[in-house]
Amino acid sequence: MSAKGFTNGKTYHLRLFVAGEEPNSRKARDTVRHLCETRLKGRATVEVVDVLEDFQAAIENNVLVAPTLIIAPPEPPITIIGSLRDVRKVLEALGLPEEGEDA
Amino acid sequence: MTNERNQTFAGEMRGRVPLKKIPTGIEGLDQILEGGFPRGRTSVVIGAPGSGKTVLGLEFLYRGALAGEPGIFIGFEEPAEEVRENAATLGWDLAALESQGRLFLLQSGIEPDAVLSGEFSLKGLLGIISGKAREMGARRIVLDAMDVLLRLFDEPASVRAQLHLLNGWLKDSGLTALLTLKPRETEPAREFQEFFYSMADCVVDLEVRVVAQVATRRLRVVKYRGASFGRNEYPYVITEDGFRLVPVTGLLLDHQPFGDKLPTGIDRLDALLEGGYFRGSCVVVAGEPGTGKTLVASAFSARACKAGERVFYLSFEESAEALVQNVRSAGVDLQPHREAGLLDIEALMPEAMGAEEHLLFLMDRVERTDPQHVILDAISACERMGGKRAAMEYLMRTLHFLKTRGITVFLTNQTSGAKSQLEISGNDISSMIDTVIFITYVQGDGETNRAIQVVKGRGMAHSNQFREFVITKQGLMIQDFYAGAGGVLTGTARKIRESADALELERLELTRRAKRAEIESLKARLEAELQEAQAELAALDMEWKRVREDRERIVRMRGGEKNGPGPRGQ
Repeated sequence: MSAKGFTNGKTYHLRLFVAGEEPNSRKARDTVRHLCETRLKGRATVEVVDVLEDFQAAIENNVLVAPTLIIAPPEPPITIIGSLRDVRKVLEALGLPEEGEDA
Repeated sequence: MTNERNQTFAGEMRGRVPLKKIPTGIEGLDQILEGGFPRGRTSVVIGAPGSGKTVLGLEFLYRGALAGEPGIFIGFEEPAEEVRENAATLGWDLAALESQGRLFLLQSGIEPDAVLSGEFSLKGLLGIISGKAREMGARRIVLDAMDVLLRLFDEPASVRAQLHLLNGWLKDSGLTALLTLKPRETEPAREFQEFFYSMADCVVDLEVRVVAQVATRRLRVVKYRGASFGRNEYPYVITEDGFRLVPVTGLLLDHQPFGDKLPTGIDRLDALLEGGYFRGSCVVVAGEPGTGKTLVASAFSARACKAGERVFYLSFEESAEALVQNVRSAGVDLQPHREAGLLDIEALMPEAMGAEEHLLFLMDRVERTDPQHVILDAISACERMGGKRAAMEYLMRTLHFLKTRGITVFLTNQTSGAKSQLEISGNDISSMIDTVIFITYVQGDGETNRAIQVVKGRGMAHSNQFREFVITKQGLMIQDFYAGAGGVLTGTARKIRESADALELERLELTRRAKRAEIESLKARLEAELQEAQAELAALDMEWKRVREDRERIVRMRGGEKNGPGPRGQ
């Protein structure tokens, strides 16, 4: 691992809005978990909101589709819509340079 | 209260058989939809940017909320704050309804800078809406700019799946739904549009057309499952009060009968018209530029106001101030009547807006101020509202609207010759016109005079002789050119008789010229008709010749057959 990508010293708060056990939501949840265990290890807190149970939270955050991942801090907030299938796009949005190839 | 609502709610869910309609509250649209959108079902509004589909959706919710049906608005394109601001310009206080729990604006988080990674489902959205709808007892829902939402899906198959999901959810929800989207010509969006067409029970198409630099908007109901609806294209506008359609009513059937006679404000003209214009009739003064059409209209306006009646004068040619000043120099004073609040003058540039907006403007004004008489000066300018067809539509609808209310309509029309008195942009409106007054120039030696003639007077005997029309600083006058057969010499004419012989001769000369012009134009027309007939005759001759030749050929051929071994030969 190149130290470069990790030394930006930022901490992340990830809020993932899911629609119950709907397949895309499940996929997104897995991806977020994976990210937190690898690239974001020790620097991220995660909160998962099921919009089917807590629609109010979704409305408050202007979330209309699920899954939606909102990352804040760092500011400005980043919104990523979808199952997070494309991890590179997520890392790009986080400002983390790609390192080699994800196993 | 809530119980009752729940009961109807449940009732609808059970019995999907009879189609109930829910009024949109938009005047005109409910008429076309013959009651409104299908209750508990989905309607789709398709319209280009600027066609007002968001306004239509919002108004549907706004009027519903006021009528006790809470609604949810979900905009995929505009932030909720913008929607609120736009609504405020129409005088709708959405925030107030929101705080009362009668309306809810759900803002989409689909900002342009949102990152898209992988698929997603509408399940979340539907879950959120379900929760909110239950919480506030919503009955109506608008999903605005569905196309923006669908753009997020990159695979057609997944869009189809999402649309089915949405469709099923809407059906089960019992909500009366309105989806709006922009028309798309390209695949795969086109395919989705077709899906919307098929899933909706009612489809409304909004179109913006730009004709002659003027935008005109038209609404058409494309589909209404299980119900009848108006099938025409209906012009509509977005006014200060929201979405408005030009009401569609019957044709000439409900026009009011004529009333009493109204003085024209020009002494001798009253005599020519046997007392004046009929109340509630439609009068046209036609003539070339500068012949004094506006003066005749103003004289009538002033006279009517003097009798305490209200006149709305709509000028397409000059400002109110210019109009008042110009006619004052001919002895017609409009200002006191304006000040008394009897005369309402409005100047509008025809090209300032489309024909529908013009029509609605006039209708609004007439409804508000309730005039007995309306002047349009001049209808020849209406073409500048967006072409011939627009002018025609504007006039037909305006005349219809005013006549139905028993309002006297006074039109001026600028023409280029006697033949086109009743032509507006090449269209004949004569069926709507009751009285036609024609003013023309008559060239004398070294001077130009005006001649006036009543061409058509429905419901009255009238003289169709030409008279001289004189404009003086003291007012408008009509004088006899001559005492024709059955013509009665009045005081003025007698005075003319008494005046110098030279003047008399000059007038006779003018009359002669006017008559000659008339005869010449008639002659020219007859000659043209003759030529046409001759050409037709020649064509018929040719055809006859061909028929004869054909016959001869047949005879020849038959003759040949008879000689040969023809089976049919006797």
